[in-house]
Amino acid sequence: MTTILLRDILVNARQETVQMRHYYIGVEHLMIALLQIQGGLAGSILQEQGLTPDYVIEAIRRKAGKGSAQRMWVGIPTTPRAELVQDIAKEFALEDGRDEPNERDLLKAIVSERNSLPIRVLSALGVDLDWLAYAANTYLPTTEAYPPDTAITFGADFDRDFVIEREHLFILRRMFASYPRIRIERRLTGFRKALILVVTPIQADEREAAPVVAKIDLADNILDEVQRYEMHVKSALPLQAARLEDQPTAPDASDLAGIKYTLVASVGMDAQDLRSYVRAQGVDNLGQHLKQELYTRFCKNWWLQNREYTFQAWMEYDWLLPPLLVLDFADDTVPPPNAFVLRIPLNRAKARTRLHELQSGDVVILENFAVQRVDREENVLKLAMGYGSEADKRAHKVEVRGVNLTENLYYRGEIIERLVGRVWKTRHEMLMDAVHDLHPDFHPRQKWIPIGRGRVVNPLHVYEDLLDRHVTGSQSKIHGDLHLGNVLIGPNNSMWLIDFGHTRDGHTLFDWATFEVSLLGDAVMLGLDDSWDTARRVLRHLLALHGKVTPPVDDEILPAIGVVSAIREIVGECLAVSNRWEEYYIALALCAIRAFTWKTMSLGGRRLMFLLAGLMALELSRPIQPDALTPSPEDIDFSVGPSASTPKTEVFHNLFSSDTPDEGITQPHPPDASRQMDEPES
Amino acid sequence: MSLQVEVTIMSGVDDGQHLDLALDNGDGQFDGRRWTLNIGRREDSDICLRHDMFVSRLHAHLHFDGSDWQLEDLNSTNGTFLEARGEDERVTGTVAIQPGQLFRIGRTWLQIEREP
Repeated sequence: MTTILLRDILVNARQETVQMRHYYIGVEHLMIALLQIQGGLAGSILQEQGLTPDYVIEAIRRKAGKGSAQRMWVGIPTTPRAELVQDIAKEFALEDGRDEPNERDLLKAIVSERNSLPIRVLSALGVDLDWLAYAANTYLPTTEAYPPDTAITFGADFDRDFVIEREHLFILRRMFASYPRIRIERRLTGFRKALILVVTPIQADEREAAPVVAKIDLADNILDEVQRYEMHVKSALPLQAARLEDQPTAPDASDLAGIKYTLVASVGMDAQDLRSYVRAQGVDNLGQHLKQELYTRFCKNWWLQNREYTFQAWMEYDWLLPPLLVLDFADDTVPPPNAFVLRIPLNRAKARTRLHELQSGDVVILENFAVQRVDREENVLKLAMGYGSEADKRAHKVEVRGVNLTENLYYRGEIIERLVGRVWKTRHEMLMDAVHDLHPDFHPRQKWIPIGRGRVVNPLHVYEDLLDRHVTGSQSKIHGDLHLGNVLIGPNNSMWLIDFGHTRDGHTLFDWATFEVSLLGDAVMLGLDDSWDTARRVLRHLLALHGKVTPPVDDEILPAIGVVSAIREIVGECLAVSNRWEEYYIALALCAIRAFTWKTMSLGGRRLMFLLAGLMALELSRPIQPDALTPSPEDIDFSVGPSASTPKTEVFHNLFSSDTPDEGITQPHPPDASRQMDEPES
Repeated sequence: MSLQVEVTIMSGVDDGQHLDLALDNGDGQFDGRRWTLNIGRREDSDICLRHDMFVSRLHAHLHFDGSDWQLEDLNSTNGTFLEARGEDERVTGTVAIQPGQLFRIGRTWLQIEREP
């Protein structure tokens, strides 16, 4: 192994401090420089703890923050703490009879001085500092001493048409390196880089260990998931639940990483996700199982651990919609004096008006946006209001294309003071594109969408008002991505949740709105055709759940609607104010709007989602409880709060309260009359 | 009562610097009830963070009543924060603070040292 000396490390440290606009050498720069050494000591040691060097480097950068453009001194001084650390490193070298400290001396010195910023970051990431000190002293880098390849075989249920990429196989072999053979039973979900498999490890004597769920994804996502699991999930799991096992496997040679969830089940158990289950077995009794197994088991620690929470819908749901803007990077442009400045914290009312006026090519100045993700493959910088897993931090997304990511250093969580770009597309245009993709049999700009003799609202007319609405609800720990693929069903219909990559504190009903959308798209639409007629037929069944129409009898659809009905019973128990369904309808409307933009959902499913969003918007526009004494103004008026005075909201208000009083889908309504255009299509 | 304290800078270009502050040396103000130290970018601040552009001229106060410490944000532009798991916690008004607990003024982390 080549010896890397302090002076070599300082070269990297100087480069780091200049890129971060710090212009001093601190312990954070020394630590980052150590972590940047390919196959270096610090990186190898942390990898044993399931952390990748890049993940730690970004966490240190976030904690330190980028400096301001102004440079306040000449040269690159060394901080008093970095001086101290280098002195300690020199002593270690002298004790060993060497003149110049090396990589190990410096690492030992950094670890021995426990107050530095990088050490505090490591501690927050869950690294045991005593273990780290021991490892820094004793660790000997191995030359990839992995046993001969773990053989990979496939079970009978594995979908043979699905090809697991080489990089994923590499991670799998590392994850199960202590077994000579594994059998991949089935693929639960697989989407781009993320792959979830049920794997049975097999020992040398052919004894089979209990199957585990192996998840492979981009290392950042996996390591975030581990942090989130520690913070949100670990203490709140019922006895029978998928548990995270061991450290994540995050090899240096790959951008991917893997984790294992144990299922606490008998050996040989065939875990199946609900999506495949529904495809194979149908939906009979599924509603009962959901209530008795999934809900009953998890509700005590999760959804029923709720606290009052009043919020504006955008705080929990804006992130579901397409970005506010997609920009082309244009930092060399001198912005015109009237250029639109989009600044965090965002004044939503003002921004809303200006965003609507924006044309393709207009210059926009972004201020104080946080970096959510640096997508080097697509060369896109993904920004949002803040950094973190909470929904409000992810609100107000903006994507910037064409940034030179090799020359400019950006890291997740960085707050960018200012960035100039030109408009490529607005959110409205992206939603409009998604509606065009549905091949609508109505004009995409009209206010009302005909359903039989009735009609629902066009979601494109109302999504902004929905986002501005005030919601009286509750917050709890939520799974964050509760679709059919993330619920496993085993013997005796026992159910487990897997995939805690999005677990957080958030709006309690988000999980159930997500689940209903998934159920409608994946199970209800299964086997039905993609036509608008069918989507409308399903919608009429959903409307029957609201007691507004007599349930149609349609054997193709009814059993699945029974499951939706079970979900609604669960939601009924979770409502913040009993029988006040607005809280759920707004969640469902916004989840449905998100779903009709998904390319992965079937055309029929997306059409249904569009109509469902319209139905929910319609329900929200009028008194929900016909038997209540007097409906409160909020029941009728969409626009509670300051935005009530904006002209757009006025129009919307009239749309519901005076235009057609108390009219919904059941009222006779000639479709032709509703085909008036709101404005000419540009 | 002898009013003295050691504050350590925990990040930035002065990371690791110890500041020994004592009323007897003219540091801070004593109003008969509590000792107050100024933190800011101004040269005459008791704790002067001249190298941090994210620090306001008069940014925050540290108060000591003989037994407990308090941290007060003076409506600073970029805020005063306490270290917390996950995201740093922004201080509004006056909050209690323990020796050894980290707090951030602009971009600079600081810590009141525990008594030797």
